Amino acid sequence: MQVPHGVRFFTIMKTLVLGLGNTILGDDGVGICTVREMRRVWPGDPDVELVEASLGGMVLLDLIAGYDRLIIIDAIMTTDDRPAGFVYDLTLDDLGEIIVPYASHALDLKTTVELGKRLGYKMPATAAIHAIKIEENTIFREELTPPVAAVVPVLARRIIAELALPA
Amino acid sequence: MGKRISINPVTRLEGHGKIDIFLDDKGDVEDAYFQVTELRGFERFCIGRPVEEMPRIVPNICGVCPTPHNMASTKALDKVYGVEPTATAKLVRQLQYNAFYVEDHFIHFFFLGGPDFVVGPDANPAERNILGVIQKVGLEIAGKVIEVRKRCRDIMRLLGSKAPHPEGGLPGGVPRGVTEEERTVIKGTADYAVEFSKFALQLFKQVVLQNPKYLDLVLDDAYSLNTYYMGMVDENKCVNFYDGNLRVVNPEGKERALFDPQYYTDHIAEWVEPWTYIRLTYLKVLGWQGLKEGFGSSLYRVGPLARLNASKGMATPAAQAEYEEMYATLGMKPAHHTLAFHWARLIEALQAAEDMQRIADDPLLTSKDTRNMNLRLTKKGIGCVEAARGTLIHHYETDDKGLLTKANLIVATQHNAAPICLSVKKAAQAFVKGGEPKEGLLNMVEMAFRAYDPCLGCATHTLPGKMPLEVVLRDRQGNVIHRISRDI
Repeated sequence: MQVPHGVRFFTIMKTLVLGLGNTILGDDGVGICTVREMRRVWPGDPDVELVEASLGGMVLLDLIAGYDRLIIIDAIMTTDDRPAGFVYDLTLDDLGEIIVPYASHALDLKTTVELGKRLGYKMPATAAIHAIKIEENTIFREELTPPVAAVVPVLARRIIAELALPA
Repeated sequence: MGKRISINPVTRLEGHGKIDIFLDDKGDVEDAYFQVTELRGFERFCIGRPVEEMPRIVPNICGVCPTPHNMASTKALDKVYGVEPTATAKLVRQLQYNAFYVEDHFIHFFFLGGPDFVVGPDANPAERNILGVIQKVGLEIAGKVIEVRKRCRDIMRLLGSKAPHPEGGLPGGVPRGVTEEERTVIKGTADYAVEFSKFALQLFKQVVLQNPKYLDLVLDDAYSLNTYYMGMVDENKCVNFYDGNLRVVNPEGKERALFDPQYYTDHIAEWVEPWTYIRLTYLKVLGWQGLKEGFGSSLYRVGPLARLNASKGMATPAAQAEYEEMYATLGMKPAHHTLAFHWARLIEALQAAEDMQRIADDPLLTSKDTRNMNLRLTKKGIGCVEAARGTLIHHYETDDKGLLTKANLIVATQHNAAPICLSVKKAAQAFVKGGEPKEGLLNMVEMAFRAYDPCLGCATHTLPGKMPLEVVLRDRQGNVIHRISRDI
């Protein structure tokens, strides 16, 4: 077959955009809110799945396995002087070492992903983590605070733009 | 001058979950305190909402173990609406719940408790983790753990529409029944779970009990705690995860109380200490006696070992045989050995799997009578189940329209919070002398903590945080004298 000049072939990749959080703990739900905003403004792509989840531990393995590319959106609390709403762009390497969790509620993403690989699951080859800084997540409420809410439409559109680029 | 050692599990709720160990003037351990995150305003958040929303809301309390919250909430709704679920509905609920028990208990044993026993507490820290367990037991066994988990989650998803956040939760029934075709699949999963449970117990005996060093660790006084025990039992006083009365036994195993969970406030009281957000529970009739063990104590434990201690046996035959073997090996009942929580967990997984077989064979499972619609608002409901980690109570009260006016939850970690302090103290006492922590302090204290599998504030997830643990020796002024840390 003769390839027309200027045409490039890209590998089709299955991508998971996973918004994590607890929507009844205020800003903790920002990851889910961002995915919902993406759904609102974007017609979607058959090779991209948008998923909301309030999950932790081993269950993440069920969600992540089988995809080529992973994008996670979640809240984060840090001790640096960045303001609430700041977006950290992280990778799995930024998450430290494999851990021995002190409880099943303490199993982290990095250990879960490594576990999946060792067990022979197909795990994403690339993982981008967009972590939005929040100040607290211990008060039950459904609304985001203003600085965190302001990030949602911006980050949603940024991720949509990222998805349009070749991996 | 007394000193203070802090173990800080730094989570996304940083600063709110940690263990402090205080040393006396000789540098020996005087006390240990387990501080827990308080998620604030839950009751306020719920007030004014229709009570039937609660089974949908409460699974969001915890992203790791939402099923028990959903089940306790649903049972509370049964009481709020004065309705008895149909026989088929009870079978479906128990089937879903047993499936949860099997997968939750195995994940804990193989991937959390496993590093302590299968790999060994003295192993290289780089190997003493989930991946080390896989290395030791082999990919095939690790794969079977994942397979049994997957099959159980498929059942949970079938019956609750999602796993682990179930959607179902109707007073008087369940949202969907089971077909004959589905029964066949369920039976296959139940059989697989029974076989794997038996294998897991055999593995435990080979790896742990036949290793004198590990057996000594299980029987070590550093990991022993004499308390009362509480667990749910059926009409024969056998272990039941879904329904029954709560039975309390004293440190010698004599029955102290047997009560309908509707009357929990007559038996369980809460105590406030200034150094922790959590309200510590104790046996009301005995009054608060402080953080101590033995007959002078009013503290009780919940969870796998506590349930077996508080019962007269298991409800299924193979599990009962394992129960008898465990107590014969430990040499006493009740058994006070905290590390035996791991053993009890496997026995419970076997009962859950056997019960799945029973339910799968029950003719009523596929009946279409899945809901009792004779609802009558009583305005008060208390739902109680045995969560994997221990007794879970949901208490709701409403106005005349069914809108919530009160919501109170007592979770397993709350029941165990005071005993956890004591367990940590005893483990630390063996490893901190004269102000100097011995090698391995961090892990030996963590082992005591990990046996309870506590839920710190039920955070929904831990991503992208990590779980560094730090032991810090401080003097009374808070100055750091010595620090042991990992993953900081």
